[in-house]
Amino acid sequence: MKLAPVAVPYRVMQKSGSLILTVLIIASIGAGLQFDSLAVLAVIGGLLLVITAYEVAYYRRFRYELTSDTFDLQSGVFSRREREIPYGRIQNVDISRNIIQRLLGISAVNIETAGGGSTEAAIQYVTVEEGRRLQREIRHYKQDPEPIADDSHTDTAEQAAGTGVAGGAHDAVGDEGERRGERHEHDQQTAGETDRRAHDADEELLFELNPSELALAGVLSFDPRVPGVLIAVFTGSIPFFSPILPTTGSTVILIATIGILLLGAIVLAWVVGAVSAILNYWGFRLLRSGDELRYERGLLQQYSGTIPFEKIQAMTIEDNPLKRRVGYATLAVETAGYAPGQASGRGTEAAVPLASRSRVEQLAAEIDTYGTPAFARPPTRIRRRYFVRYLLALGAIAAALYAVSVFVFPGASVPWYLPLVAVVFTPVAAHYKWLHRGYWVGDNHVVTRNGFWNRETKIVAHYRIQTVIDRRTLFQRRWNVASIVVDTAGSLSILGQDCAAVDIDERDAVALRTELTDRLNEALADRRATRRTATPTWFAADTELTAETWQEDETDDANTGESDASNEAKNEPERGAESDGDVDGLDDSDEHSGPDDAGDSSAADRSA
Amino acid sequence: MNTLHPRIRLVWIARAMIRAAIVGAIVTGIAFVLNRSLFIGIGVGGLLVLLGVIHAMLRYRNWAYVVGDDAIYLERGVLTEIRTEVPLVRIQHVDSRRSAFERVIGLASTVVYTAGSRGADVTIPGLTPEGAADLRTELKRLAIAADGEDAV
Repeated sequence: MKLAPVAVPYRVMQKSGSLILTVLIIASIGAGLQFDSLAVLAVIGGLLLVITAYEVAYYRRFRYELTSDTFDLQSGVFSRREREIPYGRIQNVDISRNIIQRLLGISAVNIETAGGGSTEAAIQYVTVEEGRRLQREIRHYKQDPEPIADDSHTDTAEQAAGTGVAGGAHDAVGDEGERRGERHEHDQQTAGETDRRAHDADEELLFELNPSELALAGVLSFDPRVPGVLIAVFTGSIPFFSPILPTTGSTVILIATIGILLLGAIVLAWVVGAVSAILNYWGFRLLRSGDELRYERGLLQQYSGTIPFEKIQAMTIEDNPLKRRVGYATLAVETAGYAPGQASGRGTEAAVPLASRSRVEQLAAEIDTYGTPAFARPPTRIRRRYFVRYLLALGAIAAALYAVSVFVFPGASVPWYLPLVAVVFTPVAAHYKWLHRGYWVGDNHVVTRNGFWNRETKIVAHYRIQTVIDRRTLFQRRWNVASIVVDTAGSLSILGQDCAAVDIDERDAVALRTELTDRLNEALADRRATRRTATPTWFAADTELTAETWQEDETDDANTGESDASNEAKNEPERGAESDGDVDGLDDSDEHSGPDDAGDSSAADRSA
Repeated sequence: MNTLHPRIRLVWIARAMIRAAIVGAIVTGIAFVLNRSLFIGIGVGGLLVLLGVIHAMLRYRNWAYVVGDDAIYLERGVLTEIRTEVPLVRIQHVDSRRSAFERVIGLASTVVYTAGSRGADVTIPGLTPEGAADLRTELKRLAIAADGEDAV
């Protein structure tokens, strides 16, 4: 399939805009050199022609196709690329449309997988309906590939069973087994378009942001880091500003000027944050379609994306004192789809910008049933450490201000001691830092909580753990504490905080470390076991496996020969168990939103 | 627990000396511009070399690793002690590599990659070339046997 024809003029416009601007700037600079305006026009015309020719060629070369088991992409004018992405490896399918694209009725589709440093398939641009169709079709192919694909796989399985030699189909990333099992289940079904339409009707609205919540999200989206950065930039540029500052005037005027500037920076940050939050989260909706999450949001630039439940790496519930006071929180869902440093950043992950805390917890439980955490806190002695740390930080700020007052404004007496007033609050801050820290290991999940201001609760399923890191700095060793960092493949942890149990007792740390690795292996073994009983094993064993496992695999392979009906029957109990799990999840969340919330510190916070 | 090859200290000391030489040269340059004694640069360089040697010794003493039944366990670090558990099922791929220094001294490293965002690669330095190759094949075998089918 090809791009939308209207994409060609749009892409030409997009590419040529900046180029023509550059030419015009050069021409205007070169005006002194008597550049002919005709020559400038000729250059611009030539550029336009070249860009148009390139874009037409790009359009003609660009092809994508949904095959039975891969998404194929052919592109490139000079260097050509052919790419095949197996459906099982696709993490996110995102659609975005800015205001011009919306007028033209086109949208950009980005398909992300876990590997690589950039978007794996960027389709710029297709019609809106085609974009939606792609999102929908990819989902259906993932769960319900066409039967044609089946024959070849059955063949390989039979070969493996026949020769008894391990196939090279060992699968590191993805859920091939499950997919293939499901493929069998649906073998008899006709994967007709009507069937698929019926599937779409299953879309269930999980969450919708109502106007008052949107307004609140705007008001609360004040990011203390923004004025912080502004202040840092400002203080950094004091030498440049100092001439315009009334240094000769009295100290009162100086302080007033600085105060006004500070206030201005804070108000500006607030307004910018509020406007961008409202534009970003306008009409936010979170839907569940089959085994995927889908979100829609945006006023000027519209976004819509899908996240398969199977690919969720971690969930984060975040709040700050403002949100806690009004009883709200934010939920973010992470996948491994986005590479670090990609411009998408935090915003494009499916996140509920703001909802009441109980609603957020209920949603999180609906996405993944994790139970009611009972957090274990670090030892109380650690509060003294935080207290000392805050004192040192304040001391450093005061010292820096003192240095500024001595070297930059030698005449004026800058109140460098002002930050020391905050010393009064350090015990409170230290206490809350300790209070908010905690970790909990559930049956299937590990939950950690951190942060004195922005409190983040991270939920990671045991089978999503990548590595477990135990860190002890020189200072931590003095206090006999350690930090356990649970590394996942999620992309958020690069920017935000890790899932970490910080400053817990050394003995607890060692216990937690070994427990988490054990739980990971158990969880994976469980998943394998359910998969083995539910579906025949295709990825076959390595030749060096033990005799026991080998035997197991052979019996499994023998099952391959059985009718699909038996496979279907085997799949049924698993399905049942899954839906039971969902019901539990709802129950759990109901309990959680109840009065026993007091165990959680949010209630305590409100009273404090 | 396995310790590293003692000669790894030479690699670390050599690296520390290069860093010390660079910093020393910069400090000497600044001292030259500011018309101060050029011995400041030499002094700083010497101090850095001394610290580097002590650091290399302590680092060697603290480094240990073991390939267990279901995870690789590593202990390292001088100021910050880091202990990492890399479950065998999480291994994505394994490299063995030799830097220029390592080649001169006759050592090699093995690097284990996971899909994680933070501890994505774990390096085990100070192996003999054969040791590194053996460790690589051993880890490959264990990773395949561990059968981790859904890393991401």
